[in-house]
Amino acid sequence: MRLTHLPPEIRPVLESGTPAVMVTCSADGKPNTTIISQVYYVDETHAALSFQFFSKTIRNVRENPRAYVCVFDVRGQSQWVLQLEFQRSETAGPIFDAMDMQIEAIASMTGMSGIFKLRAADVYRVVSVERLQSGR
Amino acid sequence: MIPGKILRFLEQHANIAFAGTRDRDLVPYGHRVSGWRVDANQGTITAFVPAEFTPRLLESLRENGELAVTVEEFPSHETYQFKGRYVGDRALRPDDVEIVDRIRKRFVRSLRPIYADVPEDALNAFVSDASLAIEFEVLEIFLQTPGPGAGTRIVPPAER
Repeated sequence: MRLTHLPPEIRPVLESGTPAVMVTCSADGKPNTTIISQVYYVDETHAALSFQFFSKTIRNVRENPRAYVCVFDVRGQSQWVLQLEFQRSETAGPIFDAMDMQIEAIASMTGMSGIFKLRAADVYRVVSVERLQSGR
Repeated sequence: MIPGKILRFLEQHANIAFAGTRDRDLVPYGHRVSGWRVDANQGTITAFVPAEFTPRLLESLRENGELAVTVEEFPSHETYQFKGRYVGDRALRPDDVEIVDRIRKRFVRSLRPIYADVPEDALNAFVSDASLAIEFEVLEIFLQTPGPGAGTRIVPPAER
């Protein structure tokens, strides 16, 4: 079932620190796929993604605001698919501070301390949310 | 041609992959990849996609041909992105299924230290069987391992 908001059951998955995958597209139509370390729950209709490096992803969403994110739920044997639209970038404030703290924790757990560093919290509007079951 | 170091990475170490496409309105879509093979010419890759991630895939590829596939070794985070052009699609063959099984085992082994309490069957089930093989010509390869070099183009080499 496709939703237009983030349901409560997605929160523990987002907060588990499991990496997610993001797909964006440049204005000239080239898709770009990257692994992201954090999807932050802002509220029912907004999520924030970490901007750590000046990357193709960051350029793409500023040219073309649509983004696709897939969050893996290993325990739930499923994946959450989010269609998002870039709204704004924040470099201070409660969302930035909370994401910065989470990034530090993820970096420490994954041996990436000193490499993962939050430059900005990019805030996206949720366009749609869908849960896909893994199938064997 | 895919460089030897990256060939070895794909064949021996990488354990998770994801593909990206876009539709005619430039809306991006993602497609999980359960396995892959580098074809004999070393210039094309065939990616194996599970059924739940096939909606919109062929429609987009046949309309514009644009495809990006990111392949990672977890937990080292060594990662490369392959950008290219759709060549064709087909059903999986028995030797493709063996590749998916081999990569599933590799991935589950990497998850085991993190999910020590999760039964083996449950971890295996997380990597879906594939239902569609997508062949694409590799035109560009980018380093995506997290760090300051992320985004550097390896093939063709970035101009200095």
